[in-house]
Order: sequence, then C-alpha cells, then structure tokens
Amino acid sequence: MMPLLNWFRRNRLENDLERELRDHVDRRAADLVRSGVPELDARRRAAFELGGLAQVREEVRDVWLTRWLRDFAYDLRFSARSLRRSPSFTATAVLSLALGIGATSAIYSLVDQVILRVIPVREPERLVLIDWKGDPVASGFGSWNLMSYPICRDLQQHDRIFEGVLCRAATTVTFSTGGEHQPVAAEIVSGTYFHVLGVGAALGRVLGSDDDQPPRESPVVVLSHDFWKSQFAAASDVVGRKVLINQYPMTVVGVAAQSFRGVDVGEVPSLWIPASMSAQTIPGFSELLDRRTRWMQVLGRLRPGVTLDGARAELQPWFKAMLDEDIGRPGFPKITAGRRQRFLASTIALTPAPQGHSALRRRLSEPLWVLFSATAVLLGLACLNVAGLLLARGSARDREIRTRRALGASRGRIGRQLLADSVLLALAGGLVGVALAPVAMQTLIAFLPGAIAGHALHATVDARLMLFAFLVSLAAGILSGVAPAFQAGGHSLVASLGERSGTASGVRLRKVIVAAQMALSLVLVTGAVLFARTLTELMAKGPGFDTSSLVSFAVHPIRSGYSSAQASALIGRIQEGIRTSAIADASAVVRFPLLTGGSWNNQMTIQADRRITTDREVNMNAVTPGFFDTLGIRIVAGRGFDERDAAPVGEAGPRTTIVNEAFVRRYLDGRSPLGALVCVGSGPDARPDVEIVGLVTDFSYRGLREESEQAFFPMLDGREPGGIFYVKARSTPEQAAQVIRSIVHDADPALPISDLRTVDEQISRSLNTERMLATISGGFGVLALALSLVGLYGVMAFVVAQRTREIGIRIALGARRSAALWLVLRDAVVMIAAGAAVALPCLGALGRLVESQLFGVTATDPITVAGTTLLLAASALAAAFVPAYAASTVSPTDTLRAD
Amino acid sequence: MPSPRFPIPQGTLDMLILQILSLEPSHGYGIAQRLEQISQAVVQVNQGSLYPALHRLEQKGWLTAEWKPSDTGRESKVYSLTRTGRKQLGVEKDSWARLAGAVKLIFDEGNRT
Repeated sequence: MMPLLNWFRRNRLENDLERELRDHVDRRAADLVRSGVPELDARRRAAFELGGLAQVREEVRDVWLTRWLRDFAYDLRFSARSLRRSPSFTATAVLSLALGIGATSAIYSLVDQVILRVIPVREPERLVLIDWKGDPVASGFGSWNLMSYPICRDLQQHDRIFEGVLCRAATTVTFSTGGEHQPVAAEIVSGTYFHVLGVGAALGRVLGSDDDQPPRESPVVVLSHDFWKSQFAAASDVVGRKVLINQYPMTVVGVAAQSFRGVDVGEVPSLWIPASMSAQTIPGFSELLDRRTRWMQVLGRLRPGVTLDGARAELQPWFKAMLDEDIGRPGFPKITAGRRQRFLASTIALTPAPQGHSALRRRLSEPLWVLFSATAVLLGLACLNVAGLLLARGSARDREIRTRRALGASRGRIGRQLLADSVLLALAGGLVGVALAPVAMQTLIAFLPGAIAGHALHATVDARLMLFAFLVSLAAGILSGVAPAFQAGGHSLVASLGERSGTASGVRLRKVIVAAQMALSLVLVTGAVLFARTLTELMAKGPGFDTSSLVSFAVHPIRSGYSSAQASALIGRIQEGIRTSAIADASAVVRFPLLTGGSWNNQMTIQADRRITTDREVNMNAVTPGFFDTLGIRIVAGRGFDERDAAPVGEAGPRTTIVNEAFVRRYLDGRSPLGALVCVGSGPDARPDVEIVGLVTDFSYRGLREESEQAFFPMLDGREPGGIFYVKARSTPEQAAQVIRSIVHDADPALPISDLRTVDEQISRSLNTERMLATISGGFGVLALALSLVGLYGVMAFVVAQRTREIGIRIALGARRSAALWLVLRDAVVMIAAGAAVALPCLGALGRLVESQLFGVTATDPITVAGTTLLLAASALAAAFVPAYAASTVSPTDTLRAD
Repeated sequence: MPSPRFPIPQGTLDMLILQILSLEPSHGYGIAQRLEQISQAVVQVNQGSLYPALHRLEQKGWLTAEWKPSDTGRESKVYSLTRTGRKQLGVEKDSWARLAGAVKLIFDEGNRT
C-alpha cells in the first residue's frame, strides 16, 4: 500500500531528497574546505564519495515505489505516448471497451440495486426470512412467503434463537390530511419491526411493541423520510399531526431514519402502520388474529452465534407441535386425508435475508441475470476485438519490438509493455463506459413500471459501481492484452530477424480470436432472436379479446370510508353515469383487474356425472352483466349474466357461474358444462350448489402467457368494496378518459380514481420484462455482429496483404482468379465453421438458463438456431469477400515488382 | 594475510544505522561521519548505500525524520529512532549475537579435531 501512496506524493518526496542530498554535500564540502581542499574540488569530491548523486537518487526512488511499480508507471507513460500517436487505433479500441464496460456496469447497477444490495439496517447478515414449506391450509393475499400474524407472535417467544421477529405486509392506502385524497404505498408492520431491524427515528419515535396491542388502540403512523419531505415539506412540527388513512384518523408519531426505505426494494412505503390497525388499513379485513389467513412476511434476527441450521433444528419440534394443535382447533377447515397429510408434513424454512424481502426481486432476478450474462459475453467480445487490434498493431510494431529486443529488453519486459497498452486502453474505456452508464441505466429503468422506476431504482453512479467498473476494466485490460503480450514474448530473436514481415503464429492467434468472436456473436444473436420471437409471439397471441378503444380504471370507495353497501351503490351510480353518457358503446365492472399478474384463485369442487375436485387452482372473478359483450368475448354455449342471476334477498353467494373452454377441457372432458354444479373450495364440506349457465372462449386473465381454467360469478350482490371498470369507448380514449373523470368526480369529488388507461397500454405494461429482454439483447446482438465482422475483416485484409506476393506468383504461374478467391475465402470459412462448432453445443447448455423467459419458442428451436447461424455465416462471408476479391484481382507483375 | 578493512556484510548496514541513532538523533551527514569513523577502524562502508537504507528504514517505520534548524543555521533532515525501531535493534543485536556465537562454536569444534 505504501508504495502506491508514495506514487501520489512523489513530487514532495523528490524535493525532500533533493534538499537532503544538497545538505549532505554542503556539509561535506565545508569540512573538506576546512581541511584545505580547494572550494571547487570539494563539492565534486563530496558527490563522488556518495557514489554519484544521480545513482543515489535512483536507488532511493526504488525504495519508495518498489521496482515493478515504477517500471509499470513508466510503461503506462510510454503506452500513453505511443497510443496518442495512433489516434484512430486508440479510439476504436477505447470505444469497443467503453461499450462493453458501459453495458456491463449499467446492468450490474440494476443487479446490485435489485438483487445484491443489503438493506441499510443494523447487521443485515443476521436477518432471516421465515417461511412455511408445505400446505398451510390457509387462504391469503399478497405476494410470496406468506405467514399469519399469530405465527409471528409465536415466533417472538423463541428468544433463545431470535433477538427479535417482525412481520410486515405491503399495501396501498388512501391518504389525506383533510383535503385531497391520494393513494400511497404503506407497510403494515408488527411493533417489533423497527427494533428488530435496528432502525431509529429521524424525528419523534418509531413504532414499538406498545403499538402491537390491543387492536385499534394505537392509531399511529410513522412517515418515511422521503414522504415527510415531499408531503410535509420536512415540517419540524409534524409529530402529533392528524392524518386520515382510508378516512380513519391517525396520529403521526415520527419520521424514520433517512436512509431507510423499508425491506422491499420494489415497494418503497411512504408510511408504516402497526398491524393492530390492519382492520382500518385494509378495508373489510378482520382476520388479524386468524391462524389460517396468511398475508405477511416474517423476518427474524438471529442471535449472535446461532446458525441457520441450528435455528431450524430448534424450531422444528415447536412447529410440529403447532401443526398438531392447529388441526384440532375449532374452525380448522375440514380437509381430505391427503391434504391433512401434506399439512402435517409441513416444515419451517429459514433463508438468509440480508437484502430484505422483495416481490420485484423474484420477478426481475432471472431477466436481470440473463442480461448480465449477455453483457459479460459482449464484454468478452469487445476484449477479443481489442486483442485482435493489438495483435494487428503488434505486427505493425514488429520493427520497434525487434529493435528493443536486440538492445537487450527481455521478453517479459516487452510483454509487460504490451500489457500496459491494453490496461491503459481498458481504463480509458472504463472511464468512457462509466460516463455512458447512467444513460444506459435510464434506458433500462424506463422498461420497468413507473412506480418502481420512480422510487426504487436510481440511475446514478456510486462508489460501488465505480469499483465494479474499475475491476471490470482491469480484467478487460488484462484479458485483451494477455494474448498479444504472450505473442510478443513468444518468438525467438533469430527467427524473427530472419522473417520477412509479420509472423505466422501472430496470424494464427488472430484467426483463433476471430473464431471465438464468431462463437460469442452466434450466442448473443441467437438469444436476441429468441427474445424477439417471444415478444412477437405474445403480441400476436394477444389477450383473446378485442382491446380496441377499451379503457379501464379502478375506484376503491371502501378505502375512502364507504361501507360495502354504500360502495356498491356508488359503483352503480358511476356505471349508470357512463351508460347514459355518449362516450361508451358498452361498459362493465369486475372485482379483480385483468392482466396485472394477480387473480382471485382457489380450488373448486365440481358435481357433474361424478364429483371431482380441481387438481389446481381455478382463476375466478366477479363480473357485471355485459362484461363478455364489452370485451367482445364470445359466449359459446348457454347465456351471459343478467338480472336473473342476482341473489334473492336474504341469500348470500352466487347461484350461477360461467366457465371457460379450458375449464371444460380439463375437468369435463369437453362435454357441455351447462347444468353442472360447482362451488368454490375443496374438501368434504364443499357443497356444489352453483349452476354453470354459460361457456365462454379462453382469454388472458393474469397475463398473456397463461392458459388457465376460469370461472366467473355475477357481480350483483351489492357488497363490493370497489371495482375495475372496462369501458368500450365510442370516441378516442383521451376524450373518454376526460368524461370518465368528470363522471367519477360528480359521484364523489373526494374519490381517487386509479389506473385510468387503455387496455392496450395495460398489455404493453404487462410485457415490459419481455420487451426489455428483446430490445436490449437485440441491441447486444447487433453490436456483437458488428464487432466480430470488423474483427474478421481486419484479419482477412491482413492475410491478403501478407499473401499478395504468393497470390501474385500463383496467378503468374497460371492459377485461375477463382482459385485465388477461394484460397482466401477458405480461411474465413474455417473461422466461421470453428466458431459455430464451439457455439452450437454452448447454446444447448445456455438455453436452459433462459427457457423460463421464452414463450412460443424453445431455446434450441431449430429454425431460430439455423437461421441465425446462416445469417452470421452469410454476413461473415460478405465481410471476408471484400479482401478476398481484392486478392483475386492482384496483378502479378505489380506484386512481383513491389519487392 | 587478510586486509585490515573488510566489506560490510549484507544487511548489517541497517543494524549499524539503528545503533548509531539509538545513541542520539542525527542527520544523514552525521551518520555518514560516524560510519566513516567505524570504517577507518574495521569495516568498509559504501557511502552511496546510506540514503537508500535511511529511506527504507523510514518506510518500515523504524525511523522518523524531521526537518530541524541546526547550528550552522540551515535546515537538516534529522533522523531518530522510533519505538519499533528500538525494538528492532534489540532483535537484530540478539540474532547477531546468536549467529556470532553459533559460528564461533562451529569454529571451536573444528579447532579441537
């Protein structure tokens, strides 16, 4: 470390040494003069006694910097000078590396932000996610790793294993300070949350265990630092203010620490609300203390010294006992013997969670790793390109290198000089790359949904990214320099002096590099084509209904203090408003939105000629009459919903249902479903009493990829918490949106309207991951192709230049021009074939990595692979043809005269 | 007949410098003079290796240096021993004594036979 430090302060060291030596010589000279030596001789003798001042200085400098570092610094300086002399070479090399390093850094930044970065809490490495492995026999809502609140309370008792246990759930609430209502992201948390994470308050206090119980007695919220700044202008007297959460008054007790943004990188909460207030926070929710309702993630902090395995082993007996106890509790659902077995075989799972818990991470990790691997390949390609360029330059510099060797430079010394060239190029490339990275990141983030892009991910260059880019540049420099350096060290002095120009082994190495480039490009181009095909397949497939002029929006009156009966009435009024306005041809309301990834799902029991339980969950929805007409979904048999399907007064639950063709295919062997009875749920208790009255064609509910069994119930019972409207606009979507806003505003001026957009927009959003993969890998494919074609062209041109004389002689001796053409093209064909031979087996292995991201095409799809191979071969041959043609038109007399 | 002045053994210069500075802090020329006195008596010290050695010892943290005004009015870089330097001197003296003892033992053995 010391030598490195000295490098930066070498000017001061240099001055000091100068003064010190002058002092020595002065003193010695003075002594000598005193003993009778003449003044002039004295100084010279003083210097002579020291063995020469220049010599001493050199030796002291060696002490400061150590030899190799000094040499390397000189090498770098020499490289910089020689690179400045060939600006076009330098620019090409730096640009290749900048593209590779910039792309890698940009993707790494997202990988880091979404996947790798630990949350800013105390000792995050001791956090673990506690999850249920097996069948929990519970209903629930939320994303993944769901547990019930009582289990979290149970786990808090295990204080020999855990320092503390927290639970949390992400939600959206309607927030207001009295005026405008707005939806904001919130986190419902146990009172232990902040304590377990070790996060303090920037102002006031955070939540504590006092806020945990009893229900309803702690109407308090903690604001996030960002929300406090944006919503309250960082007011210092915010503590104690009253705010309305879903119209329920709560008190602000504090602001959380600035750096803390919750445990989920994808859903950054604006405020934290204690779980004891969940009934007010989630309208209609009263199952906080129910052991069979899972909706929260549970995280624990292990005590120091407790291992993951140790904790698991110690918790398992308790967990087993809890299962036995649960199954005997009153109200435990009646289940089949098989399911009972699965329930009792459940285990508790602990996984390290220093990065917190995130649904976004789960969704994006795979696409991001795919892109990251692709950038690594691209960077490899750029390195090969620079290696090729350096080799070409090495041939051009042959005279210089031979001269240096003749003057006594060792092979290692020259190799190191060439390595300094490539490291310097790579560092320059890295610098340009890092400058480009924020633009690339912005582009990447733009592919993601707006809410995430706005809060969670940032297109900034931080210290971590700088370090990453530096290391990558260094690695790239060494990688691209090692072949040329080795090459320069390789040939013997005598042999190289004997040769005419260039070296055979140099060309061979360059051919190997081009073949490797071909292989890497083939991998990238194939990947790009696969992702592009996936996107087009999905777009071509469509959602299975007519999306033109279809506008959707959502209202959640229950979050604004409505009762469910009032909410249903309000939804009715809005629907009536749309019906009587001139904007809509048709409109309908559903309970759960389409194409957002989620659904209402459960197993069903079917009573046709025999009784069966569905082997997987059926996606369900409640829809108003006219829903299928509005979306243009064909009713294949039976009828749509109408007033007949309304539940009679005093009777709850639907009496009729409509299923889709997939449902009939899977469970009724394609027979007519009309008249069959079904019900939601499984087990001996399930009583199928809902009649199937209609059959509709398949369409996408959760997302475009899915093919699922669906069942629809009439939305007529007047107890809806909210609804998602689908409006077939007669005018343009913009005009319709305007009218819709005024209709909702007329119904209730304070009611927030959310997700107002066209269904096409929604579809486009739902494909953002696919679009990101297709676009970016497409860009990489084009870059890769360009880089490798340039590499191929360069080598071919060089080979032709080298063999001009030979070709000239051949032609003079009567060889046909086509033979000369083939002589050169043969080389290119060998390189292309070698590249393909390496790449094709790799494609099979790499295919497995991306399989899950594909749709309508397999990773080893023969047409795609054959097509891209042909494309690559054709363009490579075209690139090789130019120099080959030049070779075939060589004039024998000219070439022979040239020497 | 061996020369009365033999060249200083490799690595001993560092020890000599530490020893000289353990008596009192001094500037480079002062150390050189002390070395000169020693060399006239027994060993031959190459003056040129003095400054690299001083800088090496400073880098190891055994010496510290400071610019101080001296008797003649000019500033000189004065070296003094640090605590780790003093400890190092102890270590080197010790190992030197052991080496010398061991060599003597071997020679004594040789004389007896």
